Amino acid sequence: MALTRRGFVRTAGIGAAGALTSSWIGARGRENALWSTFEPTLEAVEPGLIVLASNENPLGPGATVLNAVKAAFGEGGRAPGRYSNAQRDLVDAIAKKQGVKPENVVLGCGSTQILRSATHLFTAKDKPLVGTIPTYEECAGYAEMMGNPVRPVALDADFKIDLDKLADASKGAGLVFYCNPNNPTATYVGARATREYFARVNRDSPDTTILVDEAYFDYVTDPDHDTHIPVAIDNPRIIVARTFSKAYGMAGLRMGYAIGHKDTIKKMADWDGGSGTGSLNVLAIHAGITAIQQDPTFTATERARNKAVRDFTGQWFSDRGMKPTDSQANFMFVNIGRPAKEFRDACRKKGIAVARDFPPFEKTHCRLSFGTLDEMKKAVAVFGEVLGKKAAA
Amino acid sequence: MSVSRRGFLRGTVLPFSGTVIAARGMEAYQANPAQDRSARSLVPPGVTEIRISSNENPLGPGKMVLDAILGKFPEANRYPFNSTPSDNALTAAIAAKFKVKPENIVLGGGSQELLKNAVRAFTTPSRGLVTGAPSFENCPGVAKKLGHPIAEIKVDSAFRLDVEAMIAAAKGAGLVFFNNPNNPTATVHGAKTVTDLVTRVRQSSPDTVILIDEAYHDYVTDPSYQSAVPLALEVPNVFVTRTFSKAYGMAGMRVGYAIGRKETMKPLEKLKMPYNISVFGIAAAMAALNDARHIDAERERNTKVRTFTRKTLDELGCKSADSQGNFLFVDVGRPAKDFREACAKQGVVIGRDFPPFEKTHVRISIGTMEEMQKAATVFRNVLRPISTSTGARLEEASWR
Repeated sequence: MALTRRGFVRTAGIGAAGALTSSWIGARGRENALWSTFEPTLEAVEPGLIVLASNENPLGPGATVLNAVKAAFGEGGRAPGRYSNAQRDLVDAIAKKQGVKPENVVLGCGSTQILRSATHLFTAKDKPLVGTIPTYEECAGYAEMMGNPVRPVALDADFKIDLDKLADASKGAGLVFYCNPNNPTATYVGARATREYFARVNRDSPDTTILVDEAYFDYVTDPDHDTHIPVAIDNPRIIVARTFSKAYGMAGLRMGYAIGHKDTIKKMADWDGGSGTGSLNVLAIHAGITAIQQDPTFTATERARNKAVRDFTGQWFSDRGMKPTDSQANFMFVNIGRPAKEFRDACRKKGIAVARDFPPFEKTHCRLSFGTLDEMKKAVAVFGEVLGKKAAA
Repeated sequence: MSVSRRGFLRGTVLPFSGTVIAARGMEAYQANPAQDRSARSLVPPGVTEIRISSNENPLGPGKMVLDAILGKFPEANRYPFNSTPSDNALTAAIAAKFKVKPENIVLGGGSQELLKNAVRAFTTPSRGLVTGAPSFENCPGVAKKLGHPIAEIKVDSAFRLDVEAMIAAAKGAGLVFFNNPNNPTATVHGAKTVTDLVTRVRQSSPDTVILIDEAYHDYVTDPSYQSAVPLALEVPNVFVTRTFSKAYGMAGMRVGYAIGRKETMKPLEKLKMPYNISVFGIAAAMAALNDARHIDAERERNTKVRTFTRKTLDELGCKSADSQGNFLFVDVGRPAKDFREACAKQGVVIGRDFPPFEKTHVRISIGTMEEMQKAATVFRNVLRPISTSTGARLEEASWR
């Protein structure tokens, strides 16, 4: 039985259902609150603030990519005045990097556009969206806006995707949003178990499409790690979403893509494909072309840097009896034993921004993105003060 | 503040220089890329391409904007809501420009996102779209995908949107797309006519939404024209779209906005893609808003080149509609495809087909004076009286 998110929360009696709202704070995008009870009124970030709120790469894309952006200004700085169709070059570069054909790739304005297109195309009044709770909110938000049902599935005790429950819920679904590693819980399901889940859904519910969001792919260190791109290009019911916003450090540029079977990709491109007069800006296109062609050491270095910070931060919390989930991403989900809002507001006053609420865990858990090691050292000092006695251990 | 924050960056960033990027990189995209590509592919190697196909500002956004973008390099990694200033600050800046509230503004990834979403929000299988023929194709393109009905109202004999016919067609429609000045015909309607259209549609069909697309607003020189923004703020179900892609010289940056009453904006706000404007786009647009002189200079420049180009074509026997944009809709007396391909072979790339006039008319964007002088030579070559050679006669036969 499909339940809306709101219905689910009420039924399950988790969280502050009364505080849920269907209003849109569109200008705040992701912070709009369809999957969350929380609608912050964020002010512009003041310089000097340590932002650990949005799972960004704190170092940015690097000089090679920024130089490509500058080169994209063109002769006399005139090129930003032109519509760009270099998106084809970016598609080619992505296809080459991922070992697929250009027909398997569609670009999006961040993976947001990809998530929206998939939700638009594959959910309906009688074909719900299925996603874990919590997970990244974009698909559920869009489905709700369309008036299509959303079927939430609880995570397991380790805050990982519960594949049995998910497989059951996937029966009859239009689209499953499979975010792996999962945002905000940072947990990861191994490649083999994921493929078994795909096979189960394909068998039990052949019309269900699975959107595998690999936004945090480059941060995974689990040995059972593999992309599902090779599955997706052969299976019209599997789509992989990728973004330049995370390890590539380009969240401000807005570039993402989907890889899938050519028929599925064509459907997505036909509905709302990114193009030069569409949503894709020329600087992001050129940044993407350069970023994806970089030596793989770029992501390897970023992965190693992030892991060191992750280990440091995870240890700090563990040492104080606050065990985070097993993070395979550039953020962690940790039980701080108090409402996230309280913690967030207190940290913000001391120059640290941490993430929004993630129901149904907003009374106990907080998501922290990893900044640089320096930033995290400053941040844990603040966390120590804010968490008080408990943190002094 | 341009590159002063370079210290934040890893590695070295080259100082801004006029590097020419690979030719393929910067090419314009059009609503029909296949036509564009095929025309471009005819440009002989080694010939400098003059791109007058996409109604762009040939000079780009100017130094102030480029510096603003460079200044944001340290924030390339930040989502637009985390950047300084954030996307909300751009909304506020646009609101301030019009002396309205942020709730009256919705940002779009170019105005095209807003056009697309307007069709998604306001048309249904029973309440269709009313648009000009020809007019900008984005709205009917989306309506077609949705299977919603489309009434394409042919422009009048002066190539202006046929207001009377559009009012009649608006009855029971979901959305009227009123492009003023109208792309591709470049004609404009005066403020009185637009007010009249709005008033009468409101009377005959109060639930119909009217989208007045003022993409070319900054190029208009006709004194009878006024922006419909005040109208949109006053009258329910009316909104105006604007873009930074034209006079502001930022087509590649993808920034536009809609302006109207709060309740009219609401469906567009709902459909807006989160973080649709890049950090660079935000900075660029905010810098551009502070640079009014840049727009005045661009209008003046365009008017001069437009007058020259129109006169040149006139002398070649090719009449064009009275242009109030940065482009001309010209009767070349032969299929656009033939003219386009002949020009492309000499390095000049002009606009795509615009049915129902694709057998006679072409759209030529206004480049720089230098570009248009070169283009004029090409037009002269292409249009010159037919020589006695057989090949040319055959070619002419296929034109007509």
